[in-house]
Amino acid sequence: MNAKELCGVANAKLDAFVTWTALDRSNLSDGRKLAVNYFIVAVILFFAQLLFGMIAATQFIFPNFLYGFLDFSVNRMVHINAMVVWMLYGFIGCTYWLLEDESQTEIVGLKFGKLAFWVLTIAVAIVVLVYLFIQIGAGNDTTLWLINEGREYIEAPRWADIGIVAVVLTFFYNVVATFSKGKWSGIAGVLTLDLVALAGLYLAGMFYMTNITHEQFWWWWVIHLWVEATWEVLVGVIMAWSLMKLLGVRRKIVTTWLYIEVALMFGSGILGLGHHYFWIGTPEYWLTIGGFFSALEPIPLVAMVVHAVYDSGSHAFKNGNHPALAWVIAHAFGNFFGAGVWGFMHTLPQINLYTHGTQWSASHGHLAFFGAYATINIAFFYLAIQHWRGDVWMSGNAQNAWRWKWALGLLNVGVVGMTIALLIAGYEQSFIERAVEGSTWSGYFTAQNHPSFQSAMVWRWFFGLMTFAGLILLIWDLLTIGKGETRKMAIVVAERGAGCVSFLSECDHTH
Amino acid sequence: MIQPVAMQDFFITFFSSALIILAGASYALLFAWSKVNENFRIKIASYVSYIVLIIAVVLLTRAANFTGYWLSLSVVMVVGYFFAPIGIWHLCVKTHVETSTTLEEKL
Amino acid sequence: MNEENPLWASESFWKKVAIWVTAGSFLILVVLTFDSLSQTEVGGKRVQAYSVINKKIDYVYKEDLHKFMPVIGETELLFGKEFTEEEAEKLVTLGKKTTQAKNCMNCHTLLGNGAYFAPDLTKAWLDKGWLSKELREDLMIKFLLDPENNARTFGSNRKMPNLHITPEEAKGVVAFLKWMSSIDTNGFPYNFKTIYATEE
Repeated sequence: MNAKELCGVANAKLDAFVTWTALDRSNLSDGRKLAVNYFIVAVILFFAQLLFGMIAATQFIFPNFLYGFLDFSVNRMVHINAMVVWMLYGFIGCTYWLLEDESQTEIVGLKFGKLAFWVLTIAVAIVVLVYLFIQIGAGNDTTLWLINEGREYIEAPRWADIGIVAVVLTFFYNVVATFSKGKWSGIAGVLTLDLVALAGLYLAGMFYMTNITHEQFWWWWVIHLWVEATWEVLVGVIMAWSLMKLLGVRRKIVTTWLYIEVALMFGSGILGLGHHYFWIGTPEYWLTIGGFFSALEPIPLVAMVVHAVYDSGSHAFKNGNHPALAWVIAHAFGNFFGAGVWGFMHTLPQINLYTHGTQWSASHGHLAFFGAYATINIAFFYLAIQHWRGDVWMSGNAQNAWRWKWALGLLNVGVVGMTIALLIAGYEQSFIERAVEGSTWSGYFTAQNHPSFQSAMVWRWFFGLMTFAGLILLIWDLLTIGKGETRKMAIVVAERGAGCVSFLSECDHTH
Repeated sequence: MIQPVAMQDFFITFFSSALIILAGASYALLFAWSKVNENFRIKIASYVSYIVLIIAVVLLTRAANFTGYWLSLSVVMVVGYFFAPIGIWHLCVKTHVETSTTLEEKL
Repeated sequence: MNEENPLWASESFWKKVAIWVTAGSFLILVVLTFDSLSQTEVGGKRVQAYSVINKKIDYVYKEDLHKFMPVIGETELLFGKEFTEEEAEKLVTLGKKTTQAKNCMNCHTLLGNGAYFAPDLTKAWLDKGWLSKELREDLMIKFLLDPENNARTFGSNRKMPNLHITPEEAKGVVAFLKWMSSIDTNGFPYNFKTIYATEE
């Protein structure tokens, strides 16, 4: 079979697949067609994240698995990069989804937007292929520019960094120009300023420095201030808009609470950066700043709890998208435990001295990223697919509803299981490696060889597989849910209450 | 300056830290619930949660060897977690006041 | 606009609070950033000059400070050579770029940050796993050049793959690790017994 025939077959298969999904793009506005493109790539990268996570988890149990071919460092890099990038794709998609509606006009630079999407996606594909097939280079600038920068989470080579900034600027232009042509609002203002911060912070991570203390100082500016400040506010914006549109909450209330949320998140999150500056060579005052702000960070979670109870008392709302609501509830719990409880358990310097650089961070990271960001993206995917299907009713008792329920269950139990397994491993590691053995190499391996660590890694693998199964089911469900459903979503307008502004998004977290 | 946690206090440190967040949230939840539903028992339960929170803060203060200005962190937690839910509750009530809404304002 | 909605619960009030809190926190962060960066310049008290690779570096507990601190001692040459500050910077830079180019951070941790599949490199230079200070340099270079045949698995079966490090890069990595071990990390890691502590 030659290349042309192969292309033909692939095209035919793709067409058959599109026909099978029976999704009608004419249900979507131009801006939302673009948003959907982002969501599709996000889900593909989500799949890649879990696939490479599984390979890395396997290597903890069988170190020779794919040794010398796809080493742990490669798999782990793809695992965490795919996560960061799929969540960003999700957020950009959500923003395009709400942009036309919120500004009440058409997207100004739709062509640029489409171009930027393809440029970014091709760039991501090239970066991943280089990660997988070239992997490493010589210790010089060429490697840092073309192959890999070797810095956790932002490994993308410099050329890709520049590309990412260019794409984000295009995206930013689209958002600002569209609001300027249409209508500005409080939500639009917060969104715009947040995107300025998002793009600006990325620049802080684009420079080479031999002084590793300076390098890690700026590196945390990107990682922490993205994840614990700008991303959170972005989620707040998305939720604020959703609450207005889906639950009919008054704009004034939503906007006020969005501002409260910004004050709480930035107020605790910006200086919360201090908890990453305990042990990298930076001055001792960061121990105090990091400790104090970390202790304050759960206050927004308390606000969330109070507000949720207030709203439950003031009105009851009907909901026409049960899977989305279920994922929002998963978000509330995941964020509270992952970010709040798991974060605070090991964040004070008096204990972080022992937990820093152990599986504690992995335990916290898994639950917090999932609870704070994966869940909310998945909820939005369900909202998007519902609209794409033509606003059909999506309830818990529909035909095939078992799929989303099982996907929800498997993903959540899987992630919680991994979190607990890693917690046990981290506890053992901080105890044996750090406290007893004083963090020497032999101490490290004593802890790694300990039966409790070994069995924790097996449990993590098992729950990882459960998570993976959940994702496959989720993808199947997203492709098929609402297919053949004719009942329309009930139009529900809740008269009062900011619903779950708090419940959905006011959550802050610690790492 | 910090005094690291002693090895035998690891568990109590993790446990009391988690308990602070859980008890704080539980107090907030029950406090708000008691406002929605005037029930004496809920009110009592909320104060019980708060007492658990104080105990957890004391345990953490001792396990994490808080001395000097670090003690103010304990005070901030005890005071902050008590008043935060009350403040947020008032904020909920006042921001949700039904004002002379026009149709335009609604969406 | 209306009496029922008090100032402290109004949209405009919280808009201002959000702006001021964000701007204020950010301003404090910027000020602290300037201070931290100046305190951690290479050649300062916290982060040593690159030529520290010519000296003996140890890491000992300071009773009065409740923490472990790096201690810079007398001359202890690396590869039998006295490096000028420029030469040392060049070598450490090569080492640092090599650690990035080989993606070390996605198995190891550096200053405790990275992945958890392989040991922390913060004080790797001082690790008693290198047996004695005479054997150390040689063992490190051999390991970096051919990790498979010089594997240090400590019974874990985990081996570093061959990363095709050149001899010059290997020297750079060793110099970088030696320099990094002299950074004042506020006592992290705690209770670490160095190669010197074992020898005495």
